Amino acid sequence: MRIFDPHVHMTSRTTDDYEAMHAAGVRALVEPAFWLGQPRTNVGSFTDYFDALIGWERFRAAQFGIRHHCAIALNPKEANDPRCAGVLDVLPRYLAKDGVVAVGEVGYDSMTPEEDEVFARQLELAVRHGLPALVHTPHRDKAAGTARTLDLVRESGLPPERVVVDHLNEMTVRAVADSGCWMGFSIYPDTKMDEARMVALLVEYGTDRVLVNSAADWGRSDPLKTHKTGLAMLAAGFDESDVDKVLWRNPVEFYGQSGRLALDEPDASPTFEGNSILRGGS
Amino acid sequence: MTFRLGYGTNGFANHRLDDALAVIAGLGYTGVALTLDHHHLDPFAPDLPRQVEKVAARLDRLGLGVVVETGARFLLDPRRKHHPTLVSDAQEVRVDFLLRAVGIAADLGADCVSFWSGIVPAGVDDDEAWRRMRSGVTEVLDGAARRGVPIALEPEPGMLVERLDQALRLRAELGSPALLGITLDVGHCVAVEPEDAAACVRRAGDLLLNVQLDDMLPGVHEHLEFGEGELDLAATLAALDEIGYTGLAGVELPRHSHAAPDVASRAMSALREASPKGALHVASHLPVGVLREDSPNGTSPLHGASHLPVSALREASGPEAEHPWLAEAERAVRADPQTIRTFFPAVGRVVGRQAVRGESDPLGVVHGTVDDVGRTRLLAALAAATGPEELAAELTSLYRFGDDAERRGVLRALASVGHQAVTAGVELVKDALRTNDTRLVAAALGPFAADHLDAHTWRHGVLKCLFLEIPLAAVAGLDRRADEELRRMVGAFAAERRAAGRAVPDDALELLRSET
Repeated sequence: MRIFDPHVHMTSRTTDDYEAMHAAGVRALVEPAFWLGQPRTNVGSFTDYFDALIGWERFRAAQFGIRHHCAIALNPKEANDPRCAGVLDVLPRYLAKDGVVAVGEVGYDSMTPEEDEVFARQLELAVRHGLPALVHTPHRDKAAGTARTLDLVRESGLPPERVVVDHLNEMTVRAVADSGCWMGFSIYPDTKMDEARMVALLVEYGTDRVLVNSAADWGRSDPLKTHKTGLAMLAAGFDESDVDKVLWRNPVEFYGQSGRLALDEPDASPTFEGNSILRGGS
Repeated sequence: MTFRLGYGTNGFANHRLDDALAVIAGLGYTGVALTLDHHHLDPFAPDLPRQVEKVAARLDRLGLGVVVETGARFLLDPRRKHHPTLVSDAQEVRVDFLLRAVGIAADLGADCVSFWSGIVPAGVDDDEAWRRMRSGVTEVLDGAARRGVPIALEPEPGMLVERLDQALRLRAELGSPALLGITLDVGHCVAVEPEDAAACVRRAGDLLLNVQLDDMLPGVHEHLEFGEGELDLAATLAALDEIGYTGLAGVELPRHSHAAPDVASRAMSALREASPKGALHVASHLPVGVLREDSPNGTSPLHGASHLPVSALREASGPEAEHPWLAEAERAVRADPQTIRTFFPAVGRVVGRQAVRGESDPLGVVHGTVDDVGRTRLLAALAAATGPEELAAELTSLYRFGDDAERRGVLRALASVGHQAVTAGVELVKDALRTNDTRLVAAALGPFAADHLDAHTWRHGVLKCLFLEIPLAAVAGLDRRADEELRRMVGAFAAERRAAGRAVPDDALELLRSET
């Protein structure tokens, strides 16, 4: 089983996770920019984080035979903080970089006017940079937030096939399926979706335009949920080609629209800017 | 014209073979160079004979001649490109594959099977690699003789046999077997041969069994569309005509599959234009030399490098052929300096990332990389369009927001533009010298540092090179700036190494010897 996790926050994970992911078949992933669990207080915190996403984290993943790409954005949660608004001005520099395959995560948290403004501006950046967008749907008032998300996407001029609306569930999938956008599902230990519900949705909606991710981060989450979903699909009677489509070909097709996916073997040079992940070495 | 113009199917990697053949024939080509690959006539397919028969029938129906190419990237090993080769430990895997290719070529009625040597593996010396090459070719020749199919050795940059003279020497050493000929990639001639492609064609003469057509820049092994490099296509085609070459001359653009039909169409236009007079019908609708007009001033980086009509490229090219994307980006930056913020990060994706002098400096530590060169050109355009303060601010931002390649690009460009922003440039050089990134440290110690860095910082930079094992050839102005204090520091470094029982780098010894 080859796996492309289209949404996972590896910055928060350990090298054990990388090892386990590789062993389970993960060969590529996209790490979207999000918040860190505690607020950032200035633009510099963001640029340091973006620098890690395009540099150090890519290097760390390569040490385990995994191709790391990222999505760059000002996340909805911090869009409400005026101290972070300046991030929008540096985004164009980062969206032009190698390995940046989407704008994301963007979307709504509490559906404030500030979030409206930041979300719309970033969809516009996706249009201008020829990139897909990864859109997060809110934890609270999810159905209304999803509907408003789809309205904003329509107004943005970004074609629906360049948008994935993520963290969907049984209540929100229909509207996204009808919109022409891609459907993203985050499989979590107890919240969001689980493997069995995911398989039921695949039976109902088919495998087209579906992305399954672990969305693993600093909270209780599991970077092997993609693999476990693949196993659940096989147990439910899907064949290996279906699994390959959902876990590999679909994310490749979606992010491939950036023209910047690199899926050959990663260059595992032992150091990054002179520093290695080995302890006791340099 | 005495020979066939063809196109390589490895430039149609995203097409089904049947479709690729139809598109190629539809554009007016009369041959294909067929790279056997997992999705293009897989030589390991269980029903191979039937597949070969189908392809043979299709070629016949489309009126296409064929040569069999064996350079597929991951056919034999899904993890290591081109592996194993004739000079690998597992040479027999490659030999077996080449023998299969010979069989397929016989059944297809192909002109020949084209093949290359291989990159010399780490831990194998050139003599051993040469022995392996001789034994491998001998085995394949036995099979070729059984089926009466010629095989053609292609010199490939970076491999054991990388120039024509080496291929000819190997042939002579094997007793000049009649079935062993030469494949010549004319772009490789530009990149690595001491003489031009036309001269190589004449030198190969009757031994020439297969020709690959593409453009290249000197020293850069990157297959380019015609007009993007320095190949004299007209002279090359004329030379093929002159020696009475009767085989296939196929366009070889394996990295252009994403836009294959357009690229193949442009290549045909260029070939028609460059063909010996009267040799080919010249289409009347050739594009005139106008550069693309659409929005070079937008903030979006231009996508792809090859949207220009070939004749436009040629007109835009000075004596030093320009990369069309770069030329447009330079104009955009001159018109609106802020656009450099999105062009600068994109340079490597478009122009490549190879070392400028890969043979002696594979990582570009000493002489830089082709993206460094491209970034220097963008910064030169910026410097021409802005005042010193804006230039200093943008140099700093590009460096601060840059990834490792962009930072090197800024540092190397200081040699050209740094004199207009000395204070900012010195700060960036000092920042780079605080890191342990060998390529960044090396890039920092170029001519700008030699001219503007204070003595103390510069000496410590040189010493850091010795610690990080960066060749001192990377340090500009070493002879001019090396002083007694530096020699004292290096002397102390050498003494410390010796006291610890460790080797003293040759560069350090040389510097100490240079004492006057």
